[in-house]
Amino acid sequence: MSATGVISALTRFAEHWLSIWDPMHRRADHWPPEAWHEDLFNELALELARLQYAHNPPYRRWCEARGIAPSRIDHWSRIPAVITSAFQEFEFSCLPPSHRSCVFYSSGTTRGKPSRHFHNSLTLRLYEASLWWAFQKALLPEILSGPHPQLVVLMPPPDQAPHSSLVYMADTIRRQLGYSMDTFLGTADGTGLWHLDASRAWTRLRTLAEQGRPVLVLATAYTLVQLLDTPGLTPHRIKLPPGSRVMETGGYKGRSRALTSDELYRWISERWGLPLTSIVSEYGMCELSSQAYDSRFSQGDTQAPKVESERTAQPRSATLRLRRKFRFPPWVRVQVIDPETGTEAPHGRPGLLRIFDLANVGSVLAIQTEDMAEALRDGFRLLGRATGTRPRGCSLLAANGAERADSTDSHL
Amino acid sequence: MSLPAYFLADLPPDAPLTPRLIEEACLTLQRNRELYLVPRSCAQIIALLEELGRNWRRPDDPFRQLAVSEGPQQTGFSRATLEQGLDNFFSQLTETNMRRLLRQDLGEETALDDYHPAVDPRRCCRARGPRLLVHFSPGNLPDPTFHAIVLGLLVKSAQFVKCSSQAGFLPRLLAHSLRALDPKLAACLELATWPGGRTDLEDILLQKADCVTVAGADDTIQTLRQRVPVTTRLLAYGHRVSFGYIAYATSNETSLESLAEQAAADVAAWDQAGCLSPHLFYVQTGPDQHFPLRFAEALAMALDRLEHVQPRGTLPTGKAAQIAARRELYAIRAACSGTTRLWCSPNSTAWTVVYEEEPDFQLSCLDRFVYVKPVIDLARALRAAESIRAHVSTVALAAPAALRKTLANQLADWGVPRICPLGRMQQPPLTWHHDGRPALGDLITWTDWEMEPPSSPPAS
Repeated sequence: MSATGVISALTRFAEHWLSIWDPMHRRADHWPPEAWHEDLFNELALELARLQYAHNPPYRRWCEARGIAPSRIDHWSRIPAVITSAFQEFEFSCLPPSHRSCVFYSSGTTRGKPSRHFHNSLTLRLYEASLWWAFQKALLPEILSGPHPQLVVLMPPPDQAPHSSLVYMADTIRRQLGYSMDTFLGTADGTGLWHLDASRAWTRLRTLAEQGRPVLVLATAYTLVQLLDTPGLTPHRIKLPPGSRVMETGGYKGRSRALTSDELYRWISERWGLPLTSIVSEYGMCELSSQAYDSRFSQGDTQAPKVESERTAQPRSATLRLRRKFRFPPWVRVQVIDPETGTEAPHGRPGLLRIFDLANVGSVLAIQTEDMAEALRDGFRLLGRATGTRPRGCSLLAANGAERADSTDSHL
Repeated sequence: MSLPAYFLADLPPDAPLTPRLIEEACLTLQRNRELYLVPRSCAQIIALLEELGRNWRRPDDPFRQLAVSEGPQQTGFSRATLEQGLDNFFSQLTETNMRRLLRQDLGEETALDDYHPAVDPRRCCRARGPRLLVHFSPGNLPDPTFHAIVLGLLVKSAQFVKCSSQAGFLPRLLAHSLRALDPKLAACLELATWPGGRTDLEDILLQKADCVTVAGADDTIQTLRQRVPVTTRLLAYGHRVSFGYIAYATSNETSLESLAEQAAADVAAWDQAGCLSPHLFYVQTGPDQHFPLRFAEALAMALDRLEHVQPRGTLPTGKAAQIAARRELYAIRAACSGTTRLWCSPNSTAWTVVYEEEPDFQLSCLDRFVYVKPVIDLARALRAAESIRAHVSTVALAAPAALRKTLANQLADWGVPRICPLGRMQQPPLTWHHDGRPALGDLITWTDWEMEPPSSPPAS
């Protein structure tokens, strides 16, 4: 098929995809039951897998090696998945090279090479729709009725990080909410490292706090630690207005001291005067076009938090301990794979997370991550990165760069 | 496990260990050494250790039986792997080997018992072991801990062994077997285990010890090094990496299947957990360009056969996930690039062989996951392994007799501290130079006694 033919086929699928979920996302602050319909997902997944088999040469070779042709399977769970590390070596893309207008790189590297996810205007349109709809449901449930919160993005602007799928996501959110580029408070240097002027960020937050409108902060975990570690202002605490919220994502990459999620959340809560239910964790990666969130923002303590919670036994640390349950939007399914057998693990048993993302139109819809997770009835819990742990008998792996050392932050 | 609570490691996991308890244990050890160990001759200690080794090789020995029956659950190694590993170690514990070791490292078998004339006729020398020798033991396999305890007994040291919190089971059994044989000698030995981060307990040990040995991750050693008092000797064994080299010409003397079986034995020993286990095999291409590929395939078949008689231990999910994730990548490379081949156990992570034409050294994720890479010659292999040169331990060498010395010199010049035949990587002799150092000799302090010159006859 010619390049034009490939693009036409992908466009038809993308238009179909949009026509299904666009009306559903407008209808309510929750996805309607039909959005999760198994037959709908299965039909679209098989159609997309066939398209990708036909137009994505390395994927076709992989399917052939596995002896699985998407045209001969009848369930999405049998679609061959591609491990994320393979995106560092092979161009898993349906887009002909002349049609690739944008590429996102992962931050984690093996042998210095990042994962690559190629896009064009069509696949970016899908990415934007997918990320915005899921973000809205998780962090802006009142979007249709209330005023927009004021946006603060603790990341570099897109012109300084043009290959970051996360910055692209933040910029899409900025455009949707109608804010200017000065919402981006971070910078990126020539080596790609991200920096934050903590003093400036604190000043901005205090100013916004004084204005009394809710604030929406988008940040990576390590930027938050950087900010909270170097307050830059006295006093080191502010009180963000009610309705303020934080979207936190990603690991630490060894660039700041690592905190557990509990510690980080407690710290944000104490320093910014926010209930723990105002902090929402996002899980995404450059190889995907959709994100999972560990809860939905809920305003005020009177509403039941949507996260599972429990009280710790020790009175001194009687804080709400968040047990982070992630959920993707309805065009995504996950499986947790028992690594020993390669089959799906029962609920509650750890394994490798496999994601089937129907918004991943231009590359591969079935992504095998290196993240450990356990499946729950209506979501999954992240347990860390499999390759981040050191093999016994040798401590050299981390030093020679043969492994990705960080966790769940590969779409920075 | 029904062992009496004799050592600190026998206490229940929730029993509180305090710095005072550790300090008292150190004082008791030093006192017991004076009473029970110092008065003994090396010959007496050797006889006892030989008996200990003999006992452990007897199938009806109660401690061995415990080791192999409860070991799979306690250590993660299968029964067959444990049996083989224990046999390999204890078969080395003979009077001949121990006497050789003393002669090799100290010059005399009785250097620890009395003064001996030095080469310089005006001087006599006597060797002394540390009064208190402290071991921080590794968590991957028992051999280094066993070896350390044996050396400590030979140099008549009281010993405190801080076992890794996951790996106290087999050292405990060894200590109890020693106690069954000679309670007084066992009174000079203490074992304890505690989770990482108890620097209050560790600092007592570091202050009380004359000599500390530590085997483990490089960062653990680095941290410990900064805390050891300047008067305490520190012998650090950081992580090492091993590999094999198979010269093409060896295929004229040894069948491919035999070579593969020997290599498979090296991969399977202690489930590849030790520093002496191979991460990869470099195989020389020769007139038969496919020899390395054929070797890789034969190695896969040998590992498959071995799995039936000496299965790999059960892995925690995280380790299995590392293997599964790597396999996926190599399977995709195999499908897409044509220079990679992958063989692996079906429906399990039991064994994996990856053949890659690209020669750069690749660290394995272990647990019977091994690489095979073709090279034109040894020099090419060593260039490709430059990244691990400072960490190399053992190279298994399979080559015709006529070539061996040349290749062994090449390896020594490059910095390899140990070269062994294929199939023997995890079986270093008791006398081996651990990481290139005299393991017993490094424990010793010498007392030099400079003799008075013979009195001259009075001038007449």
